[in-house]
Amino acid sequence: MKRRLLESFSVATVLACVMVLMQLTAVPVEGQAGSTTAWGHPNLEGIWLDVYATPFERPERFGDRELATEEERAAQDMARMGNEGRNERGGDGRVDVAGAYNAVYTSAKPAGPRTSLVVDPPNGRVPALTAEAVQMNEVQREWRLMLLRSTETCKVGGTGCRGGEFGEASPRRFDVTPFYNTSRMNRHDGPEDQSSGDRCMSGRTPDFNGFRRIVQGADSIAMGYDTGQGQGFQRIINLTGDHPPRQIRLRHGDSRGRWEGETLVIETTNFSPKFPFRGSGENRKLVERYTRVDADTLSYEMTIEDPTVWTAPWTIRQELKRQSDQENRIYYEPRCHEGNYGLPALLIGRRLDEQKYEEGTGPEPFSLDTATCVNGLEGLDD
Amino acid sequence: MMRGSTIITALAAATVGAVISVAVTGTEGQGQPPRPAETPDGRPNFNGVWQANNEAHWDLEAHEARAGMVMQQGVYPFEFSRVPAAPVLALGAAAGVPGSLGVVQGDGQIPYTAEALRMKQENGENWIDRDPELKCYLPGIPRAMYMPYPFQISQGTDKIHMTFGFSNAARVIHLDDVTGPPDYTYMGHSVGRWEGNTLVVDVTEFNGRTWLDRAGNYTSESFRLTERFSPLSADAIWYEATITDPALYTEPWTIAMPLYRRLEPSATVLDYPCIDFAEEFMYGHLRREQLVRRWEGETMIVEITRKVPPGDSLHEWYRR
Repeated sequence: MKRRLLESFSVATVLACVMVLMQLTAVPVEGQAGSTTAWGHPNLEGIWLDVYATPFERPERFGDRELATEEERAAQDMARMGNEGRNERGGDGRVDVAGAYNAVYTSAKPAGPRTSLVVDPPNGRVPALTAEAVQMNEVQREWRLMLLRSTETCKVGGTGCRGGEFGEASPRRFDVTPFYNTSRMNRHDGPEDQSSGDRCMSGRTPDFNGFRRIVQGADSIAMGYDTGQGQGFQRIINLTGDHPPRQIRLRHGDSRGRWEGETLVIETTNFSPKFPFRGSGENRKLVERYTRVDADTLSYEMTIEDPTVWTAPWTIRQELKRQSDQENRIYYEPRCHEGNYGLPALLIGRRLDEQKYEEGTGPEPFSLDTATCVNGLEGLDD
Repeated sequence: MMRGSTIITALAAATVGAVISVAVTGTEGQGQPPRPAETPDGRPNFNGVWQANNEAHWDLEAHEARAGMVMQQGVYPFEFSRVPAAPVLALGAAAGVPGSLGVVQGDGQIPYTAEALRMKQENGENWIDRDPELKCYLPGIPRAMYMPYPFQISQGTDKIHMTFGFSNAARVIHLDDVTGPPDYTYMGHSVGRWEGNTLVVDVTEFNGRTWLDRAGNYTSESFRLTERFSPLSADAIWYEATITDPALYTEPWTIAMPLYRRLEPSATVLDYPCIDFAEEFMYGHLRREQLVRRWEGETMIVEITRKVPPGDSLHEWYRR
């Protein structure tokens, strides 16, 4: 354990030192990528990472501007170093525990040249949700607030209860959840009441934050993602064949790739409703494009569409930087599940709360907020 | 331009490879492009979807067919007349275990020390509670190579990537020089080299928490192995693994078996995402209301009693 921790610190140190300015080029530089694989394909192999902290959606002050100025980036880095709220303490032990992953454990990347990952629509913001998706979000929000009704969070008007009200525990609190749950809720009847992360299943396609290891075979490309605290995953991009029949639904979809000149184009369909990305389940379709720009840079673009969730397709763009193959800093074995003491502990804790309440020695379990960390419900399906 | 000439060289090399393949193989799926038997630099081409086709995942050692994955004494007191036990009773004849000549070379027995053999037998008797496969834990090497799920080989320039259907597990065989993992692992750290046509892989850095099959054969932190992948034909690999673990075995021992190419034109590895498949098994007893009840009416009533031995409750065993 000590060995692993030390390694993590050194990774953080390296990242913190990588304040190098990236030279952005609008067009791939011909001839600089330098190599092809043994199979004659453009060479994308290696470990790749977006080394910058870039907002997912563009802050409104940037308007339609895709790139930030040096001054804006420096200002963002300064603000991050100030690290507001780094050592905030609550009077209640629960709040402290909720902040277990403080600044020491989360590495901060420097601000990058982009003002947002989303580049299309031109305002850098995800298009409006469909009426259907808005309604689904409302059902989910209402359900989660219902389970918080009798908590202290609602009593004091905490941000976690925003939009909800304080009152007696709802008679609906033991009902079957009216949607397939993947986020934290203030109930712990069984594993299904926990978030995907609690259940070690938070890895999603697409993923923009983690390391990716690309190994290119003759007719397949393997991509190993190291992301989200041991919740990484493997994707296989087949360069031949067609998508499987509609009834085959896969956690990371079925990916088929082809070469368009120097660019690897991957189309992914056949997603499972059990592993939604920002509310998008089985109707999701991705088109990803990887292009080697130079020896150390891979340009990545992803367009996602789901007409049941968004009113238009949208696109993100990233420049990924090559990491040292020799240092090999990637976990290809996500082992969150193997060490998941948290999930049974959550359930055992709740059963003990119920037992204490029945014995008259503890509060009514639904009066306890064990979902929002007091500060707010975690994001839906992200 | 530099780039153009590289591509031409690669294409020329690929063409040579393709010519060799026509001479060597001839087994291409319908509508699939020809698959060269060799890489452009003359190594065997292991790209594709593969799977073992044997009973090694049940038990590496030679064994006869059994009536149930979990057994109990039946009417007679004899060992050979045991019957399926409660956890698998509802599955009828689908609950059994097929026999096998085994894959352990030599006398077919794993050379356990006396103490380790006792533990192996205890593991077998407590299979349901102890086997990491049932919890969807990462299977480890060599077990992942012969589980009853396909895996895909993506043979790259300096790496060979294997993606396993079971639990979305993977291994990377490094043909180049890399730093090892910062902690012990389930899947091991694989470093490979070519000896002629054979890919030789040393696998180390295990955490000692993996099993080798469903019969209780197990590993410790000093477990390591050397694998040899040799082409039998374009569609079959002879796989050998020599296993060393001074904490458990009196001498190194070897397993060997063919791995077969999945020749269906659309062969692909469909993920077996078993983390939530195992949740009821692992956490069902922690529900507010149990899902398993006594059934009524014409429906079979099966009272399943899983006796968890002292020290074997959830996580205790793996925390040892």
